[in-house]
Amino acid sequence: MRYLKPSSVEEAADLLESSQGMILAGGTDLCVYMAEGVVDPEALIDIGDLDAMRGIQAAKSDHGDVIRIGACTTIAEIATSEALPTCLRQGAQAVGSPQIRNLGTIGGNVCNASPCGDTLAPLLTLDARFVLRSSGGTRTVESGDFFTGPKQTVLGPGEILEFIEIPAASCARASAFRMIGNRKGQAISQVNAAVSLTIADGRMSDIRVAVGSVAPIPLRLTKLEGVLDGQPIDDVSLAAIREPVLEGIRPIDDVRSTATYRQEVTVSLVFDAWAECVGRASGEGECR
Amino acid sequence: MMIRFHCNGKPVQVDVEPNARVIDLLREDLGLTGTKEGCGRGECGACTILLDGKPVNACLLLVGKIVDREIVTIEGIAGEDGSLHPIQEAFLDTGAVQCGFCTPGMVLSAKALLDENGTPAVEAVEEALSGNLCRCTGYGKIVEGVLEASRRLTEGQDRGGG
Repeated sequence: MRYLKPSSVEEAADLLESSQGMILAGGTDLCVYMAEGVVDPEALIDIGDLDAMRGIQAAKSDHGDVIRIGACTTIAEIATSEALPTCLRQGAQAVGSPQIRNLGTIGGNVCNASPCGDTLAPLLTLDARFVLRSSGGTRTVESGDFFTGPKQTVLGPGEILEFIEIPAASCARASAFRMIGNRKGQAISQVNAAVSLTIADGRMSDIRVAVGSVAPIPLRLTKLEGVLDGQPIDDVSLAAIREPVLEGIRPIDDVRSTATYRQEVTVSLVFDAWAECVGRASGEGECR
Repeated sequence: MMIRFHCNGKPVQVDVEPNARVIDLLREDLGLTGTKEGCGRGECGACTILLDGKPVNACLLLVGKIVDREIVTIEGIAGEDGSLHPIQEAFLDTGAVQCGFCTPGMVLSAKALLDENGTPAVEAVEEALSGNLCRCTGYGKIVEGVLEASRRLTEGQDRGGG
């Protein structure tokens, strides 16, 4: 196995194009796959040290003002960045352990595309866009169009996730993330949920709700969003959101949980995340 | 391939494949067997080392990633005369060690925490140790050991600083 350390993302894309290699960022998933013999790449293309692919900064994109996150930014950096919306920081904090968060990257969490990835529901509620690099240039994909199945994405064989862009407008909304697992540390989500919204004169708008681990991909609950949009916050209750939540999800029985349990817990987690958002939007604590 | 990095404060140069795991480099090539391999999947934390001061799993770390960087293993925290680190002393005094297999990882996770936050609350200690499993299990005593180490290190600083 060759170990390649490109000095730019362009060189990384060329190496990926011309080899049977795999991209190595933090390695916290890839090293497990290699240890278990799930993959045996001809080459590893280590992009983890590329400074241009690390960090969080305000930028201008074709779509306007954004917060741009380099794909190799570690999960620990995401969890502690004051520049990022609450739900994304909370989701990052829920990933793995301190050791995993110090190595693992947000780009890795996205590209591994596990239905339970804890940064994915937050990214969906923030209307995040993914900038993909190949030897032919770049293209931008909406987060809602990126995931196609468990551990499957629209990422082509020669493509690398270079940046994640969050519109400045999304950062202005209140947001929150909740997850439930078997234990607090080092647990994989049985269900996770993220909500972001704006409140004006006691009514909600720009509401986004996304959930993970309850379908083959992390998904937006558009039916629920439609029900809540424009409504007064006082009309929202567990009973009121139950049907629209259950209509949107397709949980299964697996090693971590059962479909029935996931259904009940999803309703509660969405409600809890919504209530936290409303508390924050109403001026309790920080502005987002 | 010749790889250079710093280990426990000393420069190291070793001929090893860059896609080897750091846990194997430490144990097999450098004879530093204080770092334990438990699960080999990044779940148990027995192989915890510090990479530029931050705790990471040596079983998930490839040698190519430590080039020109600084790692610290459990062998690197004792004094030059072989005296134990205050965290190790506190672990002994509070009964935080049972079988000892998780202890090197626990001590290094504790060190990373105390280097950043000298007076952590119980919740911060539990969070810092959340990637280290103990199956004996002495979590209560281990948390107590970290808090005791925090007290001793803080007192030491107070004396030193006048």
